[in-house]
Amino acid sequence: MHDTGFTHHDLVLLLQGLGVSVGLFAATTIIGLALGTGWALLRYYRVPLLAPAVAFLAELLKNSPVLVQLFLVFFGLPVLLETDLTPVEAALITLSGNTAAFVYVIAVSAIESVGREQLETARVFGLGRWQTLRRVVAPQAAAFGVGPLTGLLVNQLQVTSLISVIGVVDLTKAGAILNVRTLAPFVVWTVVGLLYYLVARLIAWSCSRLETRLRAHSQWKGL
Amino acid sequence: MTFDPLSLAPYLGDFLAGARLSALACALALAGALALGIVVALMRTAASPLARRCAGVYVDVFRNVPFIVQLFFLFYGLPEIGLELDAFGTGVLALALAGGAFTSDVIRSGILALDPGVLEAAQVSGLPRLAIYRRIVLPIALRTSIRPLGSVFVNLILTSSILSAITINELTGSAKIVASDTFQPFEVYALLLLLYVAMTWLVSLAAGALHRRLNRHVAGDVA
Amino acid sequence: MIEIDGVIKRYGANTVLDGVDLRIAPGEVVSILGASGSGKSTLIRCINGLERTDGGAIVVDGHRIDDPKGLQRARRCCGTVFQSFNLYPHLTALQNITLAPTEVLKTPRRQADDEARALLAAVGLEERAGAYPAQLSGGQRQRVGICRALAMKPRYLLLDEVTSALDPEMTADVLAILARLAADGTTMLFVTHEIDFARQISSRIVFLDQGRLLADLPTSEFFAPDGGLAQPRIAQFLSKMKK
Repeated sequence: MHDTGFTHHDLVLLLQGLGVSVGLFAATTIIGLALGTGWALLRYYRVPLLAPAVAFLAELLKNSPVLVQLFLVFFGLPVLLETDLTPVEAALITLSGNTAAFVYVIAVSAIESVGREQLETARVFGLGRWQTLRRVVAPQAAAFGVGPLTGLLVNQLQVTSLISVIGVVDLTKAGAILNVRTLAPFVVWTVVGLLYYLVARLIAWSCSRLETRLRAHSQWKGL
Repeated sequence: MTFDPLSLAPYLGDFLAGARLSALACALALAGALALGIVVALMRTAASPLARRCAGVYVDVFRNVPFIVQLFFLFYGLPEIGLELDAFGTGVLALALAGGAFTSDVIRSGILALDPGVLEAAQVSGLPRLAIYRRIVLPIALRTSIRPLGSVFVNLILTSSILSAITINELTGSAKIVASDTFQPFEVYALLLLLYVAMTWLVSLAAGALHRRLNRHVAGDVA
Repeated sequence: MIEIDGVIKRYGANTVLDGVDLRIAPGEVVSILGASGSGKSTLIRCINGLERTDGGAIVVDGHRIDDPKGLQRARRCCGTVFQSFNLYPHLTALQNITLAPTEVLKTPRRQADDEARALLAAVGLEERAGAYPAQLSGGQRQRVGICRALAMKPRYLLLDEVTSALDPEMTADVLAILARLAADGTTMLFVTHEIDFARQISSRIVFLDQGRLLADLPTSEFFAPDGGLAQPRIAQFLSKMKK
């Protein structure tokens, strides 16, 4: 009937699932960061047509459920574009876009936090627009943005759990498989929850270390 | 590539039924989350270290574990300990518990932002502690928290889409059925996305209006 | 009777009150004078329990304030008026005044409202009963603050630099009200910078310097050259305040 015992295979399954979750989280975070920052730069440079377009897209992505976005991409796009999409591909696309939308908002406010007088000073010293961005704005904006970014990343880790619904064998899906087989929901879901919790804490800790380093760097510049 | 949104017209009734269920679930969950959030916020700002610790653990857990894992834990776990709750009830409970963690954050901020002088005036007039919380602390803290509470409610609405994973036919669940009936997942999920965006936008507007109405006499600091 | 015996208060390494002894009997009007940082406000805040003492005892009408029940009873005997008014921002002037009587004394709503309106009328604010603090001027807010303190019919009125946040015109209005209260026999303990006012209405003057009581004399004696003025610190302080 059903196997109520836990074996080391179960642990392997969970760890594999954890690997998938963390891997997708890392990939979509990197893509989302690049994309979101790029969108913020479009706004910074006031690129016509594109800047308002991405602003609108970001609003849509921020104010709709991630699950619906997943369904739209996984079920909807293949029919629309008459192509095939694996669950992992759909997850990558959706989560990257979703992360990018939130990164966009943080990046915009982080860039705006750098005072106007900094830009004017840089201009007076002959720095070009790109140089100003790279050497003056970016470091300070990064130091400002790490705080809110930490909260976002922890949240996006939780969001990866939804990819289990479209069939990706992540940590949540592994938990569902074990749950059905062992019928021991308290054990299974507590362990799954604990694993997510630990990774979330790890992310928060890493980000706070990063923030300390970034802020120390900018303080040194003040000297 | 075909795109035919108008063919969904006959299914509008299904969407509305699903939307009603979503609205009901969210309203009930919000009430629960507010009640829970007030209690937890008071615990977190209490003098007793034990109260602060317990409340802190609750918030920590519910912020760092994915909602779907919390939902599965309750859905599969509660029957094991003899608590027979139907899917809808479990969903509302899960939403309220998760929502409570976030509302407690908001209300705690509101409590901490209270002018200490106002608190002192209440204390020296001989008001018992319960009366101070009931007539002074909470009315003021809640008034200043309306906008952030609106954000939490928006979050609740978006999270409620996950209830479709435990066979509740709220808005997303209904949409899934329509999508499989019509073989037009792109149109269905695109429409669904826009519906959620419209709902959250309305909630934000309402929160802003409510904030202005409740605070029209309170111009912040009165010292 | 308010009995303050050997009260000590420290903030870290800083001793703000260094063994203060004071007695306030019903009917007295006592002003506490002294330089900033001398501990005047701290003393008041110890009496109504906003600060905990590190030594000594304070007893109000037989209630020890280091005991929680005693503190509650002591607080009902004392009304406090604050320098920064501290009105409840979400309540009207009337509601500010009736909150404590209805919640603590369980006064019926109708009666509490009537008494509150009478208090507001006595300070010239009967038309502003429905106004919120944000809609009132500083002087009006302080007058509401005085009514709020009086609404509990306290035996002692504690006033902590209640005109320091007001401009001269509003200050005069508020001082006039306080003078009237003193003349009516209200027991009052003032912390104030208004030397002339203190001289006018007080029965007794107390001088604090660096947490110690340098003088505790009837008013006329305090300002006499062979009384309070004989002490160099006091003379120095008074001449500085005269400007």
